[in-house]
Amino acid sequence: MAVSSSARKAFYAILCLAIWQAICSAGLVSPIILASPLSIVLAVRTSGSEYLAAIPFTLFEIVVGICVAWILGVGAGLLIGTSQLLSVAIAPILSAIFAVPLIVWYPIMLIWFGLGAESKIVFGAAGGFFPIALNTVTAAQSFDRRFVTLGRSLGASGPRLYWKFVFPLLLPPIIAGLRIGTSFVVIGILVSEMIASTEGIGFWISTYRTMFQTGDVYLGILLALSACMLLNWPLTVLERRAGAWRDAELLTFGR
Amino acid sequence: MQRSIEIKSLGKVYQHPVRPLQALSRISLSVAQGQFVSIVGASGCGKSTLLQIVAGLIEASEGEVLVEGAPVTGPMPGKIAVVFQDALLLPWRSALANVELPLELKRVDKSLRRKKAEEMIELVGLGGFGDRLPHELSGGMKQRVSIARGLVQDPSIVMMDEPFGALDELTRTRMGDELLRIWEATQKTILLITHSLSEAIYLSDTVYVMGRDPGRILEQVTVDLPRPRTIDMMGSETFGRLRNRLWKLISSDGSIPSSDE
Repeated sequence: MAVSSSARKAFYAILCLAIWQAICSAGLVSPIILASPLSIVLAVRTSGSEYLAAIPFTLFEIVVGICVAWILGVGAGLLIGTSQLLSVAIAPILSAIFAVPLIVWYPIMLIWFGLGAESKIVFGAAGGFFPIALNTVTAAQSFDRRFVTLGRSLGASGPRLYWKFVFPLLLPPIIAGLRIGTSFVVIGILVSEMIASTEGIGFWISTYRTMFQTGDVYLGILLALSACMLLNWPLTVLERRAGAWRDAELLTFGR
Repeated sequence: MQRSIEIKSLGKVYQHPVRPLQALSRISLSVAQGQFVSIVGASGCGKSTLLQIVAGLIEASEGEVLVEGAPVTGPMPGKIAVVFQDALLLPWRSALANVELPLELKRVDKSLRRKKAEEMIELVGLGGFGDRLPHELSGGMKQRVSIARGLVQDPSIVMMDEPFGALDELTRTRMGDELLRIWEATQKTILLITHSLSEAIYLSDTVYVMGRDPGRILEQVTVDLPRPRTIDMMGSETFGRLRNRLWKLISSDGSIPSSDE
């Protein structure tokens, strides 16, 4: 009998939830360690209003952080990648900084930007900036220069040469960087909210944890996960579109 | 006969703080309208540099290039089409859209460029493949698209830089015949760069032999084979004699290393 794949997925999801609920109901695990699905749903009553207020606050931080990381990351990446001097001078420093966990800078950022949204935005944007900039640098350094020669031979120059022949070549690796960078921004903002803040989803997750209200903690995690998935989705579509030719080329390599 | 390309004592030095490289030295040659001319030479003799200078893609250090009487100062997409070794089709565009590209850059009306591109696709024998993406085409088909892209602007000169170098021998021979057919149908001047002696003789009216270090013309060889050329001619005595002559010219220049490079 043919069962549609989404029906099968739904079935497995419900099965998992049922087993999870059964384990909790049977008292096999302490509710402080593992909240049951039911208690997560019921947590809406205790923490729902706090989270409802926190969502726009955190989303605002995330959106601003993403904009900053995208613009600065792609901008700096193109600047560095297209300049031979900057490629030699700055690209290695970027890679080196990217290799160090950024969280060690957070206490300093707190002093500079305070407990509010600013320090979260700066920290999140900084986390996203590096993978985006590095991917863009690599893209700008390593695209096939023969397409420039081709474009010139066909009479293109200046912005048109760039737009028709270079930009589409750079797009797939840049979008890959944007995807990684975007999730880094979200992670950075949630983490920094959990460490030191007075508002936001991360703040409430951390607060409910100290009060051992595990169901409310899980609700916050669920919200954070949904936000990540929601942000990732358009990028996945975009990546598939812009990179379709590249994937197809790789798949047929050697044919 | 009208001169299509005229090269006068052309030289090219690649500047380098320690060891400047003399890539080309005192190259002089001329190609008449509608001629099929090849330039052969070993790898590194500067044939591609020469082609790029004539196409206006890089600047000469000395000397002069005239195309239809006018000095070359930059790319002239309307006059000269360049076909590169790798077809260099934009991978995100269909074959037809790739052929349309030069007209798009010239802002030709959409329906007109579609029509012209379709004609060219037909001319190179790819009718029905216009909507394919480059990765769906074989090496020979890609090169056909690339030739169609070159021809779509109706240039008077087509310059080809080892266009069949990446193809297998069977495809290569067929592409040679195709090229002759297209040449006869379009009456273009063709300047072909190749390292295949047989290909040069089989296709050309005149073959220029280049030596290296520095890149220069060793000799101009006229191919006295009748047209239309047929594959049987490759076995003829004239063909063998020409091939030997080209080989001797290149090898006596020291261009061919005794063992593989």
